[in-house]
Amino acid sequence: MSFLIPCPNCGNRSVYEFRFGGEVQAPPTSAAPPGDWQKHRFNRVNAAGVQAEWWFHRSGCRQWMQAVRNTVSNEVLESFLPGDKQE
Amino acid sequence: MKFRFHDKTIEAQPGDTVAAALYRSGQRIFSRSFKYHRPRGLLCVSGKCPNCLMNVDGIPNVRTCITPVHEGLRVKAQNAYPSLETDFLSVTQRFDWLMPVGWYYKTFTRPAMWHAVEPAIRKVAGLGEILPSGPREYEHAWMHAHTVVIGGGWAGMQAALAAAERGEQVVLIDDQVALGGQACYRKRMGPRPDAIIARIRAAANIRLLQNSYCFGLYEGNLLGVLQRAPHPGASERLIHLRAQQTVVASGAYEAPIVFPNNDLVGVMLSTGVLRLLHLHRVQAGKRAVVVGKSLQAGEVAEELRDGGIEIVAIVDPDTILKATGSSTVNGIQTRTGHFSCDLVVICGPRIPDNGFVAQAGGRIEWSEPQGAFLPTLPPSNVSAVGDASGEAVANTIAPLPTSKRAFVCLCSDVTSADLCDAVAEGFNHIETLKRYTTATMGPCQGRMCQLSAIGVCARETGRSIGETGMTTSRPPNPGVSLGALAGPKHHPLRRTPMHYAHQDLGVVWLDMGDWQRPRYYTDHLAASEEERVLLEYRAVREAAGLIDVSTLGKLDVRGADSGKLLDKVYTHRFSDLPPGRVRYALMCDEGGIILDDGTVSRISEDRYFVTTTSGNLDFVQQWLEWQICATGWDVHITNVTAGYGAMNLAGPKSRDTLRKLTECDLSSGSFPYMACREAKIKGIPAILLRIGFVGETGWEIHCPAESAEGLWRAILGAGHEFGVRPFGVATQRLLRLEKRHVIVGVDTDALTNPYEADMAWAVKLDKKEFIGKTLLAHAAKDRSRERLVGFVLQSPGVPEDGAAVVVDGQPAGRVTSARYSPAQLAAVGLAWVKTSLAQDGVFIDLRVNGELLKAKVTMKPFYDPEGVRLRQ
Repeated sequence: MSFLIPCPNCGNRSVYEFRFGGEVQAPPTSAAPPGDWQKHRFNRVNAAGVQAEWWFHRSGCRQWMQAVRNTVSNEVLESFLPGDKQE
Repeated sequence: MKFRFHDKTIEAQPGDTVAAALYRSGQRIFSRSFKYHRPRGLLCVSGKCPNCLMNVDGIPNVRTCITPVHEGLRVKAQNAYPSLETDFLSVTQRFDWLMPVGWYYKTFTRPAMWHAVEPAIRKVAGLGEILPSGPREYEHAWMHAHTVVIGGGWAGMQAALAAAERGEQVVLIDDQVALGGQACYRKRMGPRPDAIIARIRAAANIRLLQNSYCFGLYEGNLLGVLQRAPHPGASERLIHLRAQQTVVASGAYEAPIVFPNNDLVGVMLSTGVLRLLHLHRVQAGKRAVVVGKSLQAGEVAEELRDGGIEIVAIVDPDTILKATGSSTVNGIQTRTGHFSCDLVVICGPRIPDNGFVAQAGGRIEWSEPQGAFLPTLPPSNVSAVGDASGEAVANTIAPLPTSKRAFVCLCSDVTSADLCDAVAEGFNHIETLKRYTTATMGPCQGRMCQLSAIGVCARETGRSIGETGMTTSRPPNPGVSLGALAGPKHHPLRRTPMHYAHQDLGVVWLDMGDWQRPRYYTDHLAASEEERVLLEYRAVREAAGLIDVSTLGKLDVRGADSGKLLDKVYTHRFSDLPPGRVRYALMCDEGGIILDDGTVSRISEDRYFVTTTSGNLDFVQQWLEWQICATGWDVHITNVTAGYGAMNLAGPKSRDTLRKLTECDLSSGSFPYMACREAKIKGIPAILLRIGFVGETGWEIHCPAESAEGLWRAILGAGHEFGVRPFGVATQRLLRLEKRHVIVGVDTDALTNPYEADMAWAVKLDKKEFIGKTLLAHAAKDRSRERLVGFVLQSPGVPEDGAAVVVDGQPAGRVTSARYSPAQLAAVGLAWVKTSLAQDGVFIDLRVNGELLKAKVTMKPFYDPEGVRLRQ
């Protein structure tokens, strides 16, 4: 693994500068049964294709961000700070 | 220049490589082969073959033919005893019938058999030995470029200049002693390329990496580059070079021709002979036979004749029967007769060096007209130019006679007969043939043998070369030393602000992550750890002790949503914490697993001061910032860990001590347990937290780091009359254990929830929402798993951390911490046991030094169970 991630603050940087935060998943509601929370905590979609992920630029701006990555080609299609992008 | 070769002193001329200087001095045998210990001499003289590998300055397997000489080098041969000229182990070739292809797999069919012979085989076979040697420094560097050109030959230099003229930042990598590639040693290439080399050197935007090689092309156009001897302080530098565009200009290298005794000393590749002649002015021999097809061989013969080497004959490879000679070649036997000579010049096939294109994802396919594997469809950011692309390459494949002395793979002594046998045994795919015979797997990584091995495989299986295909090119190739990959031996070291005060007191250090902390103090006396810890323990329990806790993670949390954030990430409630109060803080993940613990103090309405465990600070800070990022809440976190020094003064005399230094009212009436204040101590602004990790009246004092050493010395000075002592981590561990305080990560693991750790009091399930609530609520109802309990050992002895809990002869848990407790006059500790055993007064067995000893379970602290002392 030696692909680049475009950090919204720092520009293209080596993936080794980042900490991986996993897939972006909406947590279950507080009223959801324990099974939903267990799935949320332990199960992953593990898509072979495009998925949204959390990354933390540990050796750079030290900001959390989201990146949309193709897990097959490791191409990062976009990255952004969640506050900058309105759903 | 002079250097040492064993006990000889060798003279070298400027520009010489180690191998060239040795050759000029008369050295002909450079190595002994891997399996049969056959003598081997120079072959390629360009770093592509395994024949010149030697130990240079303690580094094994150095390619001496591309290693520049410098004064005082120490060079040694490897894999030969007693010397290169007389190697007793060459007797192994008489027993080659005992060692057919794949003999490891056929002979050592049971592990025991292999273990019996492995040491002997390791001595006999193989490459150099790794000897422990003096300090050697390695470096890592990172570089970026628009265009990286691999190979400083004619095509590479042209490509670099063209890119530089477009205004791009260019890096040009060359592994040879001189730029120019074959233009420096082939007449047909025209005049020497001095003009273009001068232009390269003059170009401001070309960075030239000489004496360097690229060993792999990785994802994202990342090139691994090894630079030898970048400066006198480092032996090798590994460069992580990121290119937007990579130009593979690594040229074509010449490969040997297969015939019996083709490995004799004095059988050399034509490019090797010409390199010696033109780059180093060394005649490889006096009388040469040139082996090759007419046109190519004729050109080479003419150049050698111009260089003063007599050409005995030009021989077509199709007519060769064998080379003659015992260790050094003395002639060539052909169908038409015998030609005596002392040098055989092989004009072999030229192999485009395009492995990097394949590593980049490009396809490599056989081209019949050119007689070479060539890149097709390279990725858009990688291109091959010059001979690497196959232009001007036109090979005819020489015959591959089957013989037990016709060597295909020089690295591990695989002959054409071995390959035929392997195919006959069913290893008829090029990839399985490679793994079974180890051909192409040696130090040359197939450069010398791949085409011949494919040729034999194709012929024996009745397929074409194109159908047979090529083995996969994988980095690293050429090899890289492990030291270079590992990089510099740097380890960050963090010291607390009071470091030198500890040193003055006499201290034994404890490494905790990056931090150095006092383990215990010695007063510069020789005494055992037990004695010193007991002394420090008594001081804390009877007078007072002072410990440096600067390593605690310290976070300043501000903003309108601070309370909301802390409510979310910790199991306790903090939004309702009044200013001036402290609360224990326990952090869990969504699964209810304990992540960290610490304290949260509310300094003022909108400002919290959070401490974390020393090792988890980074994680906790990132965890908090992740929540802020995901929610968009108005919170700002500042890591003030290095900005504050911290110390904990604890013991019955701590109030008397501190009172001498501050005007702050320290009475329990106005500064009760679990309160916090901002106050000046000896004029130093500080945050005081009245907490009791060690179970006594005490204050954790945080102050600016630059004042921490002064404050430390002031408190010890003020406390001297009361018997106050500094204490270290060893004593703190004992003190906290007597209070049954858990250390996250020591007494808990990656499966522990607060209920199992007996910390239900720290979880507020009536809080609306927090991380882990749902699964903690679930866990609160289901206590079927283990519990963390305290125990008091009923007989002398102290269990080790990790000792087994035994019930009815079965393992039923483990001890996480245990120490001898002066308060209980017995060993106490924490252990994981089945929930059914987690009751006061239950007896369990612990395995201590091989014996089973009784211990009594308790759910209460071992010292001051009601917590009276820390509230006084």
